Amino acid sequence: MRISSSNAYETAISQLQKRQAALTDAQERLTSGKRVMRASDDPASAAVAERALAAQQRSDAQLRALGASRNAMQLSESALGDAGELIAQARELLVAAGNGSYGDRDRASLAEAIRGLRNDLLAVANRQDGAGRYLFGGQGANTPPLVDGPGGVSYAGTDGQLVAAGGTATPLSIDGRSAWLEGEDPASPGTPVSLFDAMDRVIAELSTPGRPASDIAATVSRGLGEFDIAADQLASWRSRAGEALNRIEGLEQRVRQAKLDAQTERSEAEDLDLLAAISDFQNRQTGYDAALKTYSIVQRLSLFEYIR
Amino acid sequence: MSASPLMSLGMKAMAASYAGLQTTGHNIANANTDGFSRQQVSLTTPEGQFTGAGFFGRGVLVQSITRSHDAFLTREAATARSVAAMDGARLSQLQRLEEVFQLGENGLGAATGELMDAFTDLANRPDDLSSRQVVLARARDLADRFSEAGAALDRVQDGVSAALRVSVAQINGLGQNIADINRRIADLKGLGQPANDLLDERDRLLSRLSEQVQVTRMEASDGTMSVFIGGGQRLVLGTQAAELKLFQDGSDPSRMAVALAEGSTRRYLDESGLGGGALTGLLRFQNTDLVEARARVGQLAASVGGAVNAQQQRGLNLQPPAGSVPSSPLFAIGEPRVLNNLANQRDGSGAYIGSVGISITDGTQLQASEYTLDETSAGSGSWVLTRLSDGRQVPVADGDEVDGMRISFGSPGPQDGDRFRLQPVSRAANGFAALLDDPLDIAAAAPLVATPSPANTGTARVASFTMTGPVLDAGATASIAFTSDGGDYTWELRDAGGGLLGLGSGTWSPGAAIPPAGDEINGFSLRLSGVPRNGDAITVMPTPPGAVAANNGNATALLALRDASITGGRTPTDAWADTLADVGVRVQSAQTSSTISQAVAQQTETQRADKAGVNLDEEAARLIQYQQSYQAAAKVLQVAQSLFQQLLDVAGN
Repeated sequence: MRISSSNAYETAISQLQKRQAALTDAQERLTSGKRVMRASDDPASAAVAERALAAQQRSDAQLRALGASRNAMQLSESALGDAGELIAQARELLVAAGNGSYGDRDRASLAEAIRGLRNDLLAVANRQDGAGRYLFGGQGANTPPLVDGPGGVSYAGTDGQLVAAGGTATPLSIDGRSAWLEGEDPASPGTPVSLFDAMDRVIAELSTPGRPASDIAATVSRGLGEFDIAADQLASWRSRAGEALNRIEGLEQRVRQAKLDAQTERSEAEDLDLLAAISDFQNRQTGYDAALKTYSIVQRLSLFEYIR
Repeated sequence: MSASPLMSLGMKAMAASYAGLQTTGHNIANANTDGFSRQQVSLTTPEGQFTGAGFFGRGVLVQSITRSHDAFLTREAATARSVAAMDGARLSQLQRLEEVFQLGENGLGAATGELMDAFTDLANRPDDLSSRQVVLARARDLADRFSEAGAALDRVQDGVSAALRVSVAQINGLGQNIADINRRIADLKGLGQPANDLLDERDRLLSRLSEQVQVTRMEASDGTMSVFIGGGQRLVLGTQAAELKLFQDGSDPSRMAVALAEGSTRRYLDESGLGGGALTGLLRFQNTDLVEARARVGQLAASVGGAVNAQQQRGLNLQPPAGSVPSSPLFAIGEPRVLNNLANQRDGSGAYIGSVGISITDGTQLQASEYTLDETSAGSGSWVLTRLSDGRQVPVADGDEVDGMRISFGSPGPQDGDRFRLQPVSRAANGFAALLDDPLDIAAAAPLVATPSPANTGTARVASFTMTGPVLDAGATASIAFTSDGGDYTWELRDAGGGLLGLGSGTWSPGAAIPPAGDEINGFSLRLSGVPRNGDAITVMPTPPGAVAANNGNATALLALRDASITGGRTPTDAWADTLADVGVRVQSAQTSSTISQAVAQQTETQRADKAGVNLDEEAARLIQYQQSYQAAAKVLQVAQSLFQQLLDVAGN
């Protein structure tokens, strides 16, 4: 068996180059921390990582949607809480108006106080979030949704609730008509009770001088009943907002977990196992070292060295 | 007994040894010459001189200088080199192609996802100009990435074309050189001795030619070597070389095809018959890998762009007066193309007679493929469409819809024997652009809103409300009334004046859409959460102008495209992940084939070199061997000379 000297050199050089390339490759992976840098490094893992990245992006978007929804529901919940307190104050004033020792002027000043509360309540009903959206605008309103007109307060929003995107259908607004204008009277279902109509009537009646005591008692008792119905309606929306907040919290936890899972999946698919990589790098280093050593020994061997 | 025979013996021995030294020197000199075959002196003993005492030897003769050469190993090494060059050329092009298919945040998949995520923020804040600006920015980013990917694929094609030009020029040059060397070898043939170094040179040229294209060789009795490519097409015949030329591909002028030109006739070479060589690798890459990569990028561009455009046009934008300006598409998408085959029938002025057009009818059905349209058989006038990605064939006629595109024959339609190449998506990424600049143009609002009646006793709420098509009547209101606790409902659609436009009934079940897929009320699809009770009602009415700014119905529908099977039956994310895996597998398997064929090439080359190459230790030993025999022969001469001197001395005395 003879060996061609020049071919032997060529082969040795190409082997050295291969070893060196393998070493550089291992080093590139170690420094980038990625096992899959190109799709061809591991096509199946690249596809898994790509899907995991999409899932991660989606979770981020979902979290933002849930955040927007939570913000809206927190503001609505506190607005409804404020409304409850204002109604309670109005109720106390109304109870005081039933006092038989009060005269017309006393009742008129109470009515004035109730009017103030009514206007406060209207302001609450038209409250906006930080970015200018009406909390009680329903499916959309570009002007204050509860409009104070000559015929009382009417609704200018769109019925229903806006829903945040992201597949979880969490609310972004509250149906103002239902919350403020359509309290349910269990005694006569189908005839909704409007808080503002009730207050307007009470104010008007208490401001009217010279009414008999029985009429005043009727005003007070009807007013109290309607106030309670309206307060119940607002409280029921408040509890819905609370439920939504609970739900959002649970969803946020799940989405965060899903995001974490996606990150882990992506990392497992494309990141480097450092321990394995370092051991692989050392293997290759040893291999390259051995190749260099043997090359330097073999290339010194020549008959011409001996026949001088 | 004279001294002259001894003298002559010594002379011949010295000449033979010198010839040995000279050959060894030549071998050492060419130890590193590529393709050099070791030469050796072939010695022979002439017939002895007869005397009464028997035959006296007459020394040694140099018969010939031969080269150590094995035709079989040389051919094997050239063929193996050919396959390795083919695999190597395809691999390096595939690696360039892979750069277009970036992973992770830099990729087209992530850009698509980011646009979809921007729709989330748009849905959260439809009236906020900054969330609309973000959508526009993401749309521009996606458009840039698509058009950049299209341009990058064009650059890859340019690179292939340039490499093909170089390869063809090399083949032509080498073919001419081989023809020239053939002439010189034939001239020297008459001398009766092999022209070793010229033969080596020709083998070397053949080996370099094999790197460009696989050849078969046939040696003639006059010593010339004829070279054939592509299974019998002659490249070199004796002392004549044919010429390869690059032409535009008949079916797609942006691609290149190779043909042997003889006079005015062209014989096109099909890459499947070429066997090996860089030329073959380049053609194979161009005609399969690159075409499929283009189709996949194009499919994603056409389907995502098409679906976003369609949904955008179903919604209401914020241009004043709100809700009354038609929404225009968000993206421009590269047009589908039909290419005439260069051989199709033409009229007197050289224009094609027949024509075929395609238009996209359903972007979600588009496949990542190109198609050919051929006549089923000559003169039959009936046509068959072949999907190139999987070879599926369907007969088609004017107006047929296949894979989301409509095929329409022009007037006049395709002529006898015409062939067409249909590219529904291949250029989609190249022409991809974002069209909108004004954030108010984004159609975040749905034209209709669904409202459950406040008097409902059931728990049904609107879970999702999506526009799935154009509204039949923009001012119409649909009322859906439930007639049982089991989900039965009736609906009616009335225009703004109360005129009845349509009515119908159905049965809702949890998770089902109203109306069920395929039915139509007014271009919407409604899904409920909770359960409706008998007597409940839901109204679907036009979005009031005051609610347009805050309505996010269309933004949620745009977002829903993220999870819809809009890209050839898969979600965009899945389609893109599959594409990445496909490209990855291509590169990976090309790497494997290249590694294997390189190893085989190296091994066969080593075998050839071991037989034919120079071993310096061997030459050192030969040097000593011939030096010693030269010294011995000189000693013979010296003895002969001293014998002659003795004879002269005796005679002189």
